[in-house]
Amino acid sequence: MTLTRTEIVDHLKNILGQERVITDEEVLKENSHDRYKKFETIFNVYSTPIPAAVVKLGNTNQVSEVLKFLNENKINSVARTGGTATEGGLETIIENSVVLDGSPMNQIIKIDPVNMLATAQCGVNLGELEDQLREQGFTTGHSPQSLPLAHMGGLVATRSIGQFSTLYGAIEDMVVGLEAVFPNGEITRIKNVPRRACGPDIRHVIIGNEGALCYITEVTVKIYRYYPENNRYLAWGLDHMETGFEILRKVMVDGYRPSMARLYDVEDGIQHSFDQFAGEKCVLMFLAEGNELIARATAEGIAKIVEPYEECQPLDSKIIENWFSHLNWGPEQIAEERDLIAKNSHIGFTTEISGNWDCINTIYENALNRIQEDFPHIDDLTMLGGHSSHSYQTGTNLYFVYDYDVKDCKPEEEITKYHNPLYAMIVEETLKAGGSMVHHHGIGKYRTQWTQEEHGSAYYILKGLKEQFDPNGIMNAGTIYPLED
Amino acid sequence: MKIVVCFKPIADYARLSQEDWKWDENHRIDTSFVRRIFNCFEESALEIALMLSGTSEHASDLIELTALTVDNQQGDLFLKQLLAVGYHHGVRIQCQKNPDLRFTPMVISHLISAYIQKQGHDLVILGMQGGEGDNGQTGFLVAERLGWPCIGEVSRIIREESSDCLKVTSRMDGATRVQTVKLPLVLIIGDSLDSPYLRVPNLKQKLHAKKKQVTLVSDLELGLYIDPLTNNNLTDNNLTNNDLTNKPIPKADKTLMDLQRPQASQSCVFIEGKNAREQARHLYDQYLKERLPQ
Repeated sequence: MTLTRTEIVDHLKNILGQERVITDEEVLKENSHDRYKKFETIFNVYSTPIPAAVVKLGNTNQVSEVLKFLNENKINSVARTGGTATEGGLETIIENSVVLDGSPMNQIIKIDPVNMLATAQCGVNLGELEDQLREQGFTTGHSPQSLPLAHMGGLVATRSIGQFSTLYGAIEDMVVGLEAVFPNGEITRIKNVPRRACGPDIRHVIIGNEGALCYITEVTVKIYRYYPENNRYLAWGLDHMETGFEILRKVMVDGYRPSMARLYDVEDGIQHSFDQFAGEKCVLMFLAEGNELIARATAEGIAKIVEPYEECQPLDSKIIENWFSHLNWGPEQIAEERDLIAKNSHIGFTTEISGNWDCINTIYENALNRIQEDFPHIDDLTMLGGHSSHSYQTGTNLYFVYDYDVKDCKPEEEITKYHNPLYAMIVEETLKAGGSMVHHHGIGKYRTQWTQEEHGSAYYILKGLKEQFDPNGIMNAGTIYPLED
Repeated sequence: MKIVVCFKPIADYARLSQEDWKWDENHRIDTSFVRRIFNCFEESALEIALMLSGTSEHASDLIELTALTVDNQQGDLFLKQLLAVGYHHGVRIQCQKNPDLRFTPMVISHLISAYIQKQGHDLVILGMQGGEGDNGQTGFLVAERLGWPCIGEVSRIIREESSDCLKVTSRMDGATRVQTVKLPLVLIIGDSLDSPYLRVPNLKQKLHAKKKQVTLVSDLELGLYIDPLTNNNLTDNNLTNNDLTNKPIPKADKTLMDLQRPQASQSCVFIEGKNAREQARHLYDQYLKERLPQ
C-alpha cells in the first residue's frame, strides 16, 4: 500500500525525531532542484514536484534506518549534500520523494600525515577540509570551482574533477576508501589500502553513482604536500584551437604533468577578458607545481614544446595567475549571478564532454557549427565557445559554454527552449565522433536518454548494478538510468 | 534627442591582493595584469540610456546615443561592446601623452564639456564616481562648465510626452524625488539597488560591431593640451588654451604628494557558547535583536 505524504513524514519523524524532518514549504522548494533549473527558480517558479520532506541525517545508522524504511515502502530518495549539482541530479521528479540531506554529517574524522590520507564525513565542505590541510602543509589536490560550497559526498557521487586534475587526477584517482549505505540498509566499508588485486575495484560502484545505487556517508582521500611557493604560470596567445590541442597532446605524451592545462577559444576567452591582454586570440595556459625541481622542469619542458610554434605569443604569467586565483564560485558569485539573471533575463550554461586526441577538434568544430546552423534561437545567443581544462595521456575534455537572453517564454520554458536543445546538439555531435557525453558533472536527469548509447554493449553491466543494488528503484529515480514509463 | 554617456573603464580592484597595492615613483599602481571593467555606476548609466532610447516610438523622437570615454587604446574594446548593444557612436578622447588623470576631475570635465559643446548634445549622463580617484566631482564640474542644470543620485530616467522633458527619479537626503525637468541637463547616476546591468550583445551584434569604427578625438582637437609630465601639479602652463577656442584655462586644484594605505582598525568579539545554537542565540540577543524590525 502506498503511503500518503503525511504518513511518510510521520514515519520519518518516528525514525529520526521531529527536529530532523523538515517540512517547511520554502525548504522543500529549495531542495526540489539544483542549478539545472536556476532560471525558473530565480523567478520563483518550481515546476518539479516538491519533496515530502527533507531529512537531516546525523550519522550512518540514521542513513541506514531511513533507507530501509524508504525501500520497504518504495519511496523515492534523493541524496544531497552541498547542493551544487548542475545536471538535475538533485531534482525530486517523483511525487513525495524524500531528500536525504547529509550536510549535518560534517566531521573531518582524521588527517593522517604518515599514510597521506584524510577521512571526512559526506557533509564536510571541501574548502574547510582544504583549509585544515593547508595549515599543516598538505592539500587534497582537488579544486573544483565549487570548492567553497561543495561537500565531499556530492563530489564523490558525481565523479567530480578539480582545476589541478592534470597533476592530481580526478576524484576517482583520489578516493582510497569509502563508507556507503545501500537501499536495503546495508552499511558497507571499503578499506584504505594503496592498491590491491582482489577482484574488480568495487570503489567504482560507489564513486559516480549519483545517489542512484547507494548513499555515500564517508570518504577517505589521498593528500599531497603543498608547495604554492613553487608555482609557475605560463601562457600564450595563439590563432587556432587545433594548434592548442596539438600542444596539449605533446605536453601530456612527453610525460609532463602540469597541475593546470587549459586552452580557451576566442569567444570563451573574451568572457574572461583575455582579449584585453591577448587581442582576439585563443589562449593556452599551464601551471607547473610541486617541489622546486619538478615545478622548474615542468615549466621549462612545456616552454620548450611551445617554442617552435610561431603563432604562439607569450603572455604575462601574472595575468593568468591573477585571473586563476579568482575563478572559484562562492556565495557572492552565486548571488551576483542570480541578480543578473533576475534583472536581465540573461543566463549562461556549460556542457562538458571528452574525446581522444584524434577526435577532439572534430567534436569542437562540429558542435559549434551545428549550433550555428541548426539552433532556431541563435539570435538570442550572446556567447558560444569553449575551452579544454583537463588533459590526459589519451585525450582531453571540452567545456562548451553558451550564454543567452531568455526571450518570449515563461521561466519554466527556458530549459526546453534553450538549454536542452543546445546540449542535445553537443552530446549528439560528441557521441557521433566517438567521445563521451559527460566529462565530470555526472549524467543527472537530462542526459539519460543517451546513457545506453554512451555505454553501448557495456550498458549491460551498468544496468546490472541497478538491478542488483536498487531493485525497487528508490534511489534517485531518473538519474543516470532513464525512467521507464 | 542627443544623449552622451560618459564612462571610464577601471581596473577590477577586487582582483588586486593587498601585496599588489604598490606604487612607483610616479605614484602609479601597476594594474596591467588585472582585467578592466565598466565602473558600476557608469554601467548603470549606459544601460539606462539604452532603455531610454528603446522607448522612442516616432522618428521625430529618435534618440542618438553616444558613449564617450577619456582613455587610451584599450578603451576601444569597451566602446566596441557599446556599439554592439546599440550605441550609435563610440568616442574616445585620447590625450596626447598618457597623462595621469586619476585625481583630476577638473581636467576630465574640461575634456568632456569641450567635446559636448562641439557636438551639441541635449543630455549628459555620468556615474557618480569611480576609479582610483573616487573623486565624485566630474559630473558636477561638467554641469558647471556647460552651465546646465544637474541632478545627482539619479536612479531612473523616463521620457515625457514633451520631447524636451524627462521624468527623473533621484534620491535626496534619504527620500526619493521624482521631477520633470527640461533639457539640456546633466544627470549623475547614483547607487541604487535597482541599478541595471548593461545588456550583453548577441553574436550577430558583436559581428556587426566589429565593422564599426570608434571615433578618436585628441585633446588638442578639443583645444586643450595636458602636459603628461607634470599634470600631478597642474599649472596654467600644463593645461593651456588653444588659439582656435576661447575657453578659460582651468586652474590646478590639487597636487598629488603621496599615497598612503588607510589604516582600518576593527574591533572583534568572539561569540561564546557551548554549541552553534547557543552562539546563534547569543548573537541574536546581544547584537542583532535591536537592529531588526520588530
